[in-house]
Amino acid sequence: MTTTAQIPLTITEPEKRSKRRGGLSRTLVSYSFLLPWLIGFLGLTLGPTLASLYLSFTNFDLLQDPQFIGTANYQRIITNDVKFWHSMQVTFTYVILAVPLKLAFALGLAMVLNRGIAGLPLYRALFYLPSLLGASVAIAVLWRQLFAKDGLANVALGLFGIQGPSWISDPNYSLYTLVLLSVWQFGSPMIIFLAGLRQIPPDVYEAANIDGANKVQQFLKITLPLLTPVVFFNGIVQTIDAFKAFTPAFIISEGTGGPIDSTLFYTLYLYQEGFAYFRMGYASALAWILLIIIACFTAFSFLTSRYWVHYND
Amino acid sequence: MTHDLNRRTLLKAALGSAGLGALGSLPAFAQDARVRLYWWGSKERADRTLKAVSLYQERNPGVKIDGETLAWGDYWPRLATQAAGRNAPDLIQMDYRYVAEYARRGALLPLDEFVGKSLDIGDFDKASLDSCKVDGKLYGINIGNNSNALIYNKAAFQKAGVPEPIDVTWDKFFELAAAVTKAHNGEYFGTSDASAEEVAFENWLRQRGKALYTEDGKLGLDEKDASDWFAMWAKAREAKACPPADLQALDKNNIETNLLTQGRAACAFNHSNQYVGYQVLNKNPLGITMYPQGAGPNPGHYLKPSMMWSIYARSKVAEPAVKFANFTVKDVDGAKLLGVERGVPASPKVREAVSAELDAQGKLVVDFISHVTPKVGPIPPAPPKGAGEIQTMLRRISEQVGFGRLSTADGGKQYVSEAQAILSRA
Repeated sequence: MTTTAQIPLTITEPEKRSKRRGGLSRTLVSYSFLLPWLIGFLGLTLGPTLASLYLSFTNFDLLQDPQFIGTANYQRIITNDVKFWHSMQVTFTYVILAVPLKLAFALGLAMVLNRGIAGLPLYRALFYLPSLLGASVAIAVLWRQLFAKDGLANVALGLFGIQGPSWISDPNYSLYTLVLLSVWQFGSPMIIFLAGLRQIPPDVYEAANIDGANKVQQFLKITLPLLTPVVFFNGIVQTIDAFKAFTPAFIISEGTGGPIDSTLFYTLYLYQEGFAYFRMGYASALAWILLIIIACFTAFSFLTSRYWVHYND
Repeated sequence: MTHDLNRRTLLKAALGSAGLGALGSLPAFAQDARVRLYWWGSKERADRTLKAVSLYQERNPGVKIDGETLAWGDYWPRLATQAAGRNAPDLIQMDYRYVAEYARRGALLPLDEFVGKSLDIGDFDKASLDSCKVDGKLYGINIGNNSNALIYNKAAFQKAGVPEPIDVTWDKFFELAAAVTKAHNGEYFGTSDASAEEVAFENWLRQRGKALYTEDGKLGLDEKDASDWFAMWAKAREAKACPPADLQALDKNNIETNLLTQGRAACAFNHSNQYVGYQVLNKNPLGITMYPQGAGPNPGHYLKPSMMWSIYARSKVAEPAVKFANFTVKDVDGAKLLGVERGVPASPKVREAVSAELDAQGKLVVDFISHVTPKVGPIPPAPPKGAGEIQTMLRRISEQVGFGRLSTADGGKQYVSEAQAILSRA
């Protein structure tokens, strides 16, 4: 955000001239470079998205042609689907817990790393690693082992004489193991926070020191306000990610959302409806409702942002 | 200009080599028949299948068989998606549960025209053929027959000084299981909790003269039946015959995570052909026997095709696919490679030949089927649409009861009301 603002957006004179002269061939070259992405976007993203909008108004079992049924899917979702509301509740709990915790953790570590300690690149890489691996199947499998009845988590607790439950297979705790898994992948917001912290000029802190502001005051009055654009960006990206979370719950519960639907994320419910029970029309309607929720959330964030996001300009 | 030219030449060269690459990926022998073969199952099954494939390819140059395999849970979503994209595999391992759904939606090829020609299954008994028919047409080739089977760790019973649970009643079974748990200081349980296993539930229902579904696709049980089932297991849980709910929830409904394989319980409720897969993953010798029995005369067990080969309706290589399927069920060499891991072969001639060369474990499975055959009842009708969802629901309700969130009576009520809602929707 703050970094892109420094890139000059106006086209300089020589470039303008060459554009006029090179005209068509130049445009063609740009499009040919864009083409692979464009084909992918039109064919793999936009096309299926529009198709799913149509399918959401149909009854489609994958094998037979879809039958148009109007808004029946949406009506059923809103008025007569216990699992929809349950999966909403699970997903919102997850988002509300995982996003702030992850951001707080990422910011905390970014501030520690920003102190200019030796071997910073190494730490940065190490802390980033979980983010690269996090959404992978292997990590979800590892998580399952860690938090099983005789997993490492319980071995560690056992050292203190505590006998832990089987975290992942106990409906009272299973969702929180997934929150923890998400917080553990703090790497990418951390890197962005770190970049944001680097942008704050050190003389501001010097001035604050001279005025006798303590560390807490400096954090609340300088760091946080100047970092709000980055918090805003990270917040939106992480929230959208959390709404869309699928892999960890799918792997840890083997696609069931169990035990007792305690990890039935919205996306997992959508997957079950579409691919396990062959109700692709209904699943498409569910997907569009999720899209609308995410869009509303993002719009709301942008609308309120001018009251709390301070751009340093 | 020269700069531009260079760049253009480079671009051309790049495009050219990309084109060459595409040429290179074309099949070397365009006249080859490529058959896509698709099955679910354990690693043991994959090993056996691929051995049969290579022998067949050796004997039939010009036929190339590409295998794809997935676990049961991922298998059906993938098949449905591929069928929707009109790109399903040619030769599909099909289950009794799904054959009617796929056949009635026009996704499978009727096989009657191949019978007597490339498909030589004239010596299959009537039951083995009928179970692969939908609306009078043949849509599957029976790969092998199986039946419900209790698979148990012999050593766990011996060490505990408890007799093995062979042909016992449910009461006796739980008594033995509780004794095993006690002898292992409560760390290892006599049986896994099968209240979430639909196969066990169905067998038990049949023993009391009920069924999961009726002929016309309605629910074949009432609230009392389901409540009694949950209550029976709640009692077993209390007596520590089976593990507590949080341990049982680690079982994700496959051989690998079953508590017998995980070394936490001595019995698993499953199918006879799966004995082979279980034994591969277990150090201790396993036993195989019938499910515990009820007091009445009704048999819970029935023989069913453990799986069948079906051909995708749009397959362009139906003939070679049928021929390979025939190789696995009628050619003694092919059938021997599959063994009884997919069930006991339906052809008497093949069964005899395969049995003669089986290892001790395979013989156990064949003996078990011979032992069960006189005691079985008729095969139930193919389950209605929505049955898959009800199976998942049984697991959830059994967990709710197990974790004490539902009483056994309410569990029964909920099973019936949710099942009816699913059936009326589907």
